[in-house]
This record gives sequence, structure tokens and C-alpha cells, in this order.
Amino acid sequence: MTGQTSPFGSLREQLLEAAAAFAGGPVTLSDILSGLVDDVDRALREELEIFPVCHHSPASALAMVRRLREKQPKVIYLELCEDLQPLLTELRNCRLPVAVQAFATDLDGFPASWAPLSVVAPITEASAEYQAISYALETPGVELVLVDRSTDHVFQWAPKEEPQKTHKEEEAGLHGDAVGVEIGDLRPRFAELEEHLLHHGKVRHWSEWWDQYVEQPLSGADYDTYRQVMVLIGSLFRRLTPDGDRLTVDEDRERYMWTRMREHLAASGASPADCLYVCGAFHAASHVEQFGLRSTAPYEITPRTATTWLYGLIPSSHSAIEAQFGLASGSVSIAAATWAKAVTRNKLTPFQLAGQKGARKRAVKLPAPVSKGEVADRLTGFLSRPPALDELDEAELLGWCVDIVRLARRNGYLASTADAIAVFETSILLAGMRNRARPTPYDFQDAAVTCIEKDVVPGRRDVRRLCEILLGGDRVGEVGYDALPPLARNVYDRLAPLGLDLEKRTIQRALLDLNASPELVPCSDLLWMLRYLLPHDAVRPIMGERRLGERSIQESWDLAFGKHQRFIIELGYEGVTIEQVLEQRLRRKVWDHKATAAVALAAVEDAVLFLGSRRFADELGARAVELLAAERSVDDAPEVLRRIRRLMAYYRASEPELPGWCEEFATAGYAHYCTLLPTAFVDDDTGVRQVAAMLGFLFSMESLALALGCDRAQLELAVQQSHPEAPAKVALLWAARNQLGLLPLAELRSRSDELLANPLVVPSFPQYIMGFVQALEPAPSLSGFVVEVISKAFGRLPDSVLLPWLPKLITTLRDQAGELMPALVREAGRTFPGGLAALDAWTPPWSARPKPVASGPAPVAAGPVNELLMGHPAACDAVAELLGCAGEWRVPETAAGADHREVTALLAEHPEPALAVAGLLI
Amino acid sequence: MSDDMLRAPAEVKYAEELDWLESIDDGPKPFSWRLSPRMIRLFILGSERSDGLDREISQKWFGDRSFVERSIVTLASDRGLLLIGDPGTGKSWLAELLSAAICRNSTLVVQGTAGTTEDHIKYSWNVSMVIAKGQSRESMIPSPIMTAMEGGVIGRFEELTRSTSDVQDALISILSEKYVSIPELDDDNIVFAQPGFSIIATANSRDRGVNDLSSALKRRFNFVRIPVVTNKKSEAEIVRFRTEELLRRHRIELDVPPTLLDILLQSFADLRSAAASATSDDEKLESALSTAEQIGVLEDAILHSNFFGDRTLRAQTLAGSLVGSLARRTPEDLAILNKYWHGVVEPRSKKDGGEWPEFLEGGREAIATLS
Repeated sequence: MTGQTSPFGSLREQLLEAAAAFAGGPVTLSDILSGLVDDVDRALREELEIFPVCHHSPASALAMVRRLREKQPKVIYLELCEDLQPLLTELRNCRLPVAVQAFATDLDGFPASWAPLSVVAPITEASAEYQAISYALETPGVELVLVDRSTDHVFQWAPKEEPQKTHKEEEAGLHGDAVGVEIGDLRPRFAELEEHLLHHGKVRHWSEWWDQYVEQPLSGADYDTYRQVMVLIGSLFRRLTPDGDRLTVDEDRERYMWTRMREHLAASGASPADCLYVCGAFHAASHVEQFGLRSTAPYEITPRTATTWLYGLIPSSHSAIEAQFGLASGSVSIAAATWAKAVTRNKLTPFQLAGQKGARKRAVKLPAPVSKGEVADRLTGFLSRPPALDELDEAELLGWCVDIVRLARRNGYLASTADAIAVFETSILLAGMRNRARPTPYDFQDAAVTCIEKDVVPGRRDVRRLCEILLGGDRVGEVGYDALPPLARNVYDRLAPLGLDLEKRTIQRALLDLNASPELVPCSDLLWMLRYLLPHDAVRPIMGERRLGERSIQESWDLAFGKHQRFIIELGYEGVTIEQVLEQRLRRKVWDHKATAAVALAAVEDAVLFLGSRRFADELGARAVELLAAERSVDDAPEVLRRIRRLMAYYRASEPELPGWCEEFATAGYAHYCTLLPTAFVDDDTGVRQVAAMLGFLFSMESLALALGCDRAQLELAVQQSHPEAPAKVALLWAARNQLGLLPLAELRSRSDELLANPLVVPSFPQYIMGFVQALEPAPSLSGFVVEVISKAFGRLPDSVLLPWLPKLITTLRDQAGELMPALVREAGRTFPGGLAALDAWTPPWSARPKPVASGPAPVAAGPVNELLMGHPAACDAVAELLGCAGEWRVPETAAGADHREVTALLAEHPEPALAVAGLLI
Repeated sequence: MSDDMLRAPAEVKYAEELDWLESIDDGPKPFSWRLSPRMIRLFILGSERSDGLDREISQKWFGDRSFVERSIVTLASDRGLLLIGDPGTGKSWLAELLSAAICRNSTLVVQGTAGTTEDHIKYSWNVSMVIAKGQSRESMIPSPIMTAMEGGVIGRFEELTRSTSDVQDALISILSEKYVSIPELDDDNIVFAQPGFSIIATANSRDRGVNDLSSALKRRFNFVRIPVVTNKKSEAEIVRFRTEELLRRHRIELDVPPTLLDILLQSFADLRSAAASATSDDEKLESALSTAEQIGVLEDAILHSNFFGDRTLRAQTLAGSLVGSLARRTPEDLAILNKYWHGVVEPRSKKDGGEWPEFLEGGREAIATLS
């Protein structure tokens, strides 16, 4: 039990063991240990003061505040991508945490598959870097210089392999697929070492280890101790780092940073004594030959690629930072809470950017700088003495216990005051067992889980998550209006008439009465564009829709811009206005090498709907014609047919004439599908639906195509050349021939009857039916015949064929012929009797005996049409002669108007409208 | 003493270790505990070099450290401890170790079944003595729980959710008031719990809904959920540890080749991931595929090789045992195993070689025999 008396004795033991266990090979344990001390010595003796930090460490931030007040440096060098510098001043318009982002879509010098490139550097309030940035930007005469490699170099130095995309939770995914860069990355570089430290430290995860063995002992330590211990830890992890790509990149970064700092010092003439170099503890123990101001080792910085980088700020959150950098859930929130408490306890005034959102205003008056004395060895004392343990803060713990029970109750747990007492007791017992007088948030969390969590979680959140919320919760940052890119600002400005606070993170309901307030129409247009461009959760229409030729009178929208601010900001990297971005996206879509005619037609439709620009729609339409002519497959034929029909209907209804590209599309499509038809009929890979759509295109565009110079013989030849074998396609071909007048309906009927009568073919009859159903697309007039065929099939097919086929019929009809069903059902409704009583006496029209043809010519009704024809018989005679039809004119049997007694009676009864019309015309 | 028993309880098996720990323990001990909480943790999770002990204490339970800490702390508080988890996750073993370390008695156990009555929790009567002498403390038979109360030690309740609600509810007053009254007696009719008394219950999460615990009883227990071990390294440790124990118990000298252990672990990992992605019960094996199940398979294979084989554990025997242990339902389980064997084991035996081809062959034969 001897080694168990102090937690820090255990740390030293751990360091020795880690070294002993992992320093196999030529490096001996003593080398490592003496090397550690050498590294500390070298970093402290360096002329330029090195300030080692660790990310999200309140101890680092506290030490930074103290040191900045003491030293008040004139130049601060910061380990952050140098090209991000202009953005830092925009931080004052944001609510932290936010991430500084560099974004590139036009790549030059990187594999195209990497696009878009994105780098984020999240910044939280409880970090040393934020303190340094605030100090530098708020204190006149202080220069902040970012010295790390540019974002371009991040990718230049990255291994050339595909980045892995992972799915993240909603809040944790705030950074998207960006590559994270961070100041002060300090963590064991290989899993075994971390596992070893965690195992021997008797903790669960890295954040807890760090909190217990470094953070707490250092939070009240003096500056020398802080520096020495941090460099020591940095040196330990560095010396136990296996060689690899990551270490090479780190060394290159160190060369880069020292070279940049030397360049800056030489150019500005600043005295090294007035400068402070803020970098990760890992880099403070660097071994590169460029380390130190005295070094003259050259390092050539490679030029950036020609990639165009765009910069901006995006909102970040504690959980996004944890997810990005593999930290334990809740650790950043706990660090923020620890920082806030330490600031109050130590009566420190942290630095803060003027105008910072969501923070208290603190005026920082700097005392006179204090000069630093000689460096003394604090390490020996620190490592050999147990740290002063925090006393139990009973009030704080009691507050936590009461709050967690309240929170748990609100989330459906049956928690009571008894649980608060149990959590309190258990926290103290657990902390005692883990050698701590004061329970850490992690002890408290464990205790709460033990006492409150039962077999099931009643609500959405479990006790562990509730503890995280209690101890600070996930904080989501927000980028202020002034720091937004022009596009995002433009969006907010244009939506201002809605009168909503779009910066709120809750969902906002927008109600637009477009008739009553026509000034909201531009807002509606913009919302539809955003709907197209943003994730669907961000902008969701509840009422109202936008389709070709339709416009809503009223719309209602659910807007969650606050939550999806990142996406709006990232749109800002693509253009200056939403319209421009949309135009670019659509253009990119149709010019993509995988684009098809259907895609291009969809883009035309979107362009008409959202942009309303005829010129642009025509451009996209012309591309659709090109794509159609170049296509060799007809897989998209149903989609093409649906879209071109819709577009033509729209243009016919709204424009005086069809756009040129539509006409070209019709002629090109006619020729294209005629050419492919014979192959499609026999090709096994082409489905009957596709062939039906081709025929549909040919028949429905025929009149237009023929008017524009196509020849019908081409279609007739194509049909004659088609010799399908699959039953469904055979049926389709018969239907097509019938439509072309090459196969009379009577013959079609007799053929289908023959099939039903032939026992060898009966099993495949259902497939013929599918072909006939699909034929409704090109030949809608066959609907009566299709009803007849299906009825006969139901009546005559043996049960062994019919019953297994029925479920398949329903599913196939639903999947493949959904749009044809209404016509079929309507036709069936016309054919079959409406009531049960009529069914017995009903005879199907196809079985009914044909009515005897009335002898003599049909009576000729009197009326204005006949009067017109009788008055001018020349045209009819000429047509009759052309068609070779002999006939004679007959006089109507009754006097004009005799057959319209009802009309006459009506007019006699109510003569007023007729008289009014007459008066109007006179 | 432990040699005379087929399976010695933990306090007997590790008596010497516990004595030694007690002798060096200078930490504060709650109630009448024999060891301090830190020493109990050390006993269960084993010692590290950094603990600075003169002798090594082996690890006896494998799992997250915080589970053990939370369990110990719960027992030091006012509440009972309920260990909940899938079958074969080591709940009962942890309960036994905790009782052994705290009070050197892990045998005060009530087994919850559908037939458990309130008498099993409180007390019953020796009928012949009652007839002879009337109702008195002598003619009363205290239950294990009542014995634990009287002695200020830990009582155990296995499979709490298997017993009916009225039986479960009898525990409420024991856990709240910490006494049991005996209305049949005129005097000396209350048994008070001595300091140090607590209850460790275990419940099988697969039995949820059979006899759900009432909210009142849940409130009196702290729940510690023990998950199925999915970390391959820890699982290998557990299987090795338990198998060695079994071999010792059966006095069998037989080596378990590490390659075969790997095959076993890999097969279970594969089958677990298949079960996780299954959409209905018919697509997954009935077995929970726990670590205990693995140990069972290995034990079966070892015994088979020892008594019917050439005293060498072979992949073929292992495959046979695996199929035999996991195929409980015909044809569902056999179909899943058949799919696994042909879809996963076969490609792997072609790719990896080693013992896999033999494993493949053995499995095929076993499936063919059972089909």
C-alpha cells in the first residue's frame, strides 16, 4: 500500500513503467529519462519564451492569463494556420465556440476526388489560444502572428489517400467532413501507451486521466512549474512516439514555425524578450535542427498550390469538438465549467474581445509588467511532492446532487430527494476510493448513474447525458451577422420581411399569405431556392408547393436556420447570391460526365421553378438535347418522357410558342428512340417499362416531330424490325402495331383469345397482361381492351396460375404502373355494372352480340354544323374525292331547331341573358 | 479444504489471499467489513506493480473498473446492489467475489425461481419441532437473508426477476426498515439487521417483463449494468482464466493452443455481429453468445478431447462442440450455423489457412450429424 499514498507518486511510477514497457530497441530507459530533463532545460533556456499549451485545458488558459498580465508581450506567435489570421478579428462578432474555416472547391494540385477541402480550427472561450488572441487584438501595440503551415500545406503534407467519411450525430456533426486542426494537441501517440496510462491511472478515458494527473495539480501552480511540467509531458509523449507520417508532419510544422518566427523577427526588428511563442507542449520539446532563434539551419517553405481558398467562420459546439478530436463525451463542457469556476475562485480577469456575444463584459486593466527572474528547477519538487488536494466543496456537490435529481425527474426518472442524498454519499465514497478528497465531475457522474439509472431509460436522455447537460451542457456557438459571408447576410436581409428571429436555434414558423401580402413573394421564392440547396431539416414547407405552372396562395414554413447556420455559411463559399449558387449547381449537374438527359430535364424544370430565367432554362435544355442524342441506354426513358411531357405542357400553357430546344428535343428523341427501338425490344436488360416509355415518346411527340420534318416511315420500319420474344414485349408490340393501324383490334382480340385457349401458353399469360398494361402509356385508347383481357384472364386462367400470380400483379402494378392505374380503373368502372343487382343480368360488352346494323343510312341531324357544310360543300367533296369515297349529300330530316326543344324552352323561360348578349353585340 | 469440494466458494478458494490482504489493510472499513473498499477492488481486479504490494494479486473478474467501484460503494451505502446484464456476463461471479471480500461468506444465497416463496426470504418453521415444542426461535428456520441480517453480512439473491412480485415485495421492508418481524412469537419477535448487512441481487436482462420490479423496489436498489464483453483482448483473458480453473478442477493436463482460442473468439465475434444485424428472432441464434457460453464450448471440447480423443485439443473437436452447444433449435439454429459455416468459415479457411480448414471440416460434420 506504500505507493498508494499520493496520486502523484503513482504518476511517476506510471512514467517509469511506460518507458520501461515501451522503450524497447536501442533507446534505453535512462536515455529517455535524462532526455526528458534535457528537453525541459532546452525549452526553458530558449531566448524566445515558449509557452506550452494543451487544447481545452483550463490550466493552460489560467496560466496564459497570468503570464500575459505579468509579461505583456509585444508580439505573440501562435501555432495556428497562418492564412487564418484575417478571420480572428471577426471572432468578436460571434458567440463561442465557433470554428475558423478554410474551404476550397476549385482544386489545383490535389486529387479531384478530395473536393471540397475543408479545414476547421475550433476556438472555445476556455482555451489558452483565445486568451492570447483576445489580449493581442484588444491591447494596442501588440502584434499577433500565426506561424503554423497554411491550410494548403495541411493537404500538401497529407497522405494521398481517400479521406474516410463517417456519419456523426446531429450536434456532433457541426463540422461536417472538415479536417480539424487544433492548437496544443497533447496525447499519447499510440494506443498502447494511452491504454497503459489509463490502466495504471485507474481512470476510464484520456480526459479523466488528464484532469486528475495534470489539470488539477497545475491549475493553481506558478508559471515556472506549469511550463516545466507541460514541457516534460510533451517531451515524454514525443520520445515515446513511433516514427511515422504523423511525426514527420509535426517536425515539418516545427521547422515551418521557427522559420516563420525568425523571418518575422528579422523583418520587424522586435526584441525576442518581448515575444511569446504559444505552441502545443509536444512542439515545445522539439528536436528539429531549426529549433531556437539561434539556429541557422535552412528550411525551404514550399509554395502553396493554385487552389483558391475561401475563409469563414462556422458555428461549432462542444460535442462537435469532442467528436472531431476523439475526446470523451462531455469533456469540453466540463473543461468550460472548470475554467469558469477557476476564474472566479482565483479572482482572475480573463481577456475578452470587445463586443463578444454571450459573455460578460470585463474591463481588463493591465498592471505594470513584471520582469521574470532566473529559471529555477520546479520539476523535482513538483514530481516528488504530492499535490495539494482540493478540499471537498460541499455546497457545490450538494447543488449538483439536487440539480441532477430535478433534471432526472423532468426527464421521466422516478428520482426523489432520497436519490439526491444517495448521489451525494456515493460521490464522496467513490472519490475516496479513487484517492480524491473532492469528487470530480466524473465521480459525480458515476455516482448519479449508480443511484438514479435503473433498468430502462424512460426518456430520450440517460443519466450520463443529463450529467453532461448539468455540468455545462453542450454549448453551440453562433456566428454573428457581421462575420457572415455576403451570401448569408443577403439571405438574412431578404428574409427580414418575415419578421422572424432567424438566429434562434429553435424552429421558427413562417406564415406567408401571398395574396394578401404580395411583398412576401420574393421571400417565398428565396425559401424555395433554399429548400433546394440546404438540408431538408433547415427549410421545410408545411403547406404550399411549387410545381410547374402552379403557385401557392398561402405557404407555411418551418425554418431552422440557427441550427443549420453552417450550411448557409458554406453556400457563401460558392457565390455571392443564392441565385448564383443555384445556377452554378444546376450547370455543374448537367455538365457532369455522368449526367443523363433525364438529369438535364430535371435541371431545366428546377431552373424554371426557382430561377424563372428563360435564357438559362434554354441553355440547360440545349444540353439535354445533346445528352439524349449521345445516350446509348434507354434506362431513363420513363423519366425522360414524364419530364418532357410536363415541360411541354407548361410551355404550351404559358408561352406563345415552344422553346427551340423543346422542338429539337422532340425531333432528336423521335429519331433516337426509333433507332433504338428494335434493339430495346429484344434486349433482355431493357425492361418492358422502358420500351413502353419509348413508344410513349414516339406516339405522343409524333405530331410535333412530323411537323418539324421527321418521317413516319422511320417509326413504321422500326416497329416492323422489332421481333421481341419476351411475352410482355410481344404484347407491347401488338399494341404498338394496333396504334399504328397495322393490326386491327379484332385481330388483337383473337390473338389474345388464342393465347388463353392454348394450355401451353397459359402460364405465361400474366406476362402478356403486364405488356398490355404497360401499353396504356403509348396507346391509352386500348384501355377498354386491357380491361377486357384482364377480365378474361381472371375468368379463364386456372387457379394454379392465377392465384400465385395475383400478389405479384398487385406489387408490379404498384411499382411499375402506378400512374396508369387510374385510367384503367376508370375504364373498368365504365365497363362493369355499378351495383350488385345488375351483375346477374350483365353481359360483358365483348361477349355481347353485335347489334344489327340499322338498315339504311343514318339519319342526319340538323344543326349549325350541317348548315355550314351544306352551304359550302366544296371542301368536303374535295376530301372525299381524295380519299376515294363516293357519297352524296343528304338533307336533314327535321327542321332546324326541332331537336332542341329543351334549349328552346329554357330560352323562352329565361330570355334575359340572350337579350343581354344580343344587346351587347349590337 | 477446497480440494474436498467440487467447486469451492470464493472465500474458501482465495482464503489465503484474503487473509494476507486483511493483514496489510490499514484503510478505513465501513461497518463490520473485513476489508477496506480499496482492498476489495484490488482483490477483485488484481494488483499492479504501482500498487507496491509484496505479492501479486491475480485478477478475478474482468470488466470495467468503474463497475466494481460503483458496486463496492453501493454496498457501503444504504442501498442494495442489483447487478443486471445478459446471461453469462459474470454477474453472479462478481456478486460472489464481493461477498467473499466484504464478509468472507458468499453462501447466503436465495435462488429466485417461479417457486420461490416469501418463506425463502424471511423464515419458515421446523414443523416437527413446532408440534413438539411450539413456536419458538429454536423451531424457526431462518432464511439465508435473515441469517445475513443477523450476522451483519451480505445476503445474495440470484435471478431476482424470476421470482414473483409478492416475493420481491417482501424485500422492500427488509431493505427499508432493516428488520423482519415474526408475529408468531410473543417475545423476541423482531430480527434486526446488524451493521454491514446488505443485499446483492442479480437479474437477467433477457428476462425483462417476466416479473418486472416494482418502482418501490427499484428505488431501494442501485443498478449496475454489466455489458457483454466485446473487447477481444479482455475476452481472451477471461476465457483463459476460467479454462485454466476448469482444467485444474478436472485435473486435466491439456494445452489450449492460442490459435484455437483465437478461432473460438473470432467465431463468437462473427456470430455476435450477425445476431446484431438480424431483424427477427429466427435469424439469430437462441444463445446469448456470452463469454460464459464460450467457456462452455471450450470446456466441452477439452473434456471431449481428454476422454474420447488423443488428449490434444483439435480444431475439429472445437468445431463440433461449438455446433453442439449453439444449435438448440432445429432447424433455425442449425440453418444459421450452416449459413455461417459456408458464408464465413469457408472463405476464411481458404484465405487464412492454419487451423481454419480443420475447423471448417469439423463444423460441417457436426452440422451434418445434427441435421
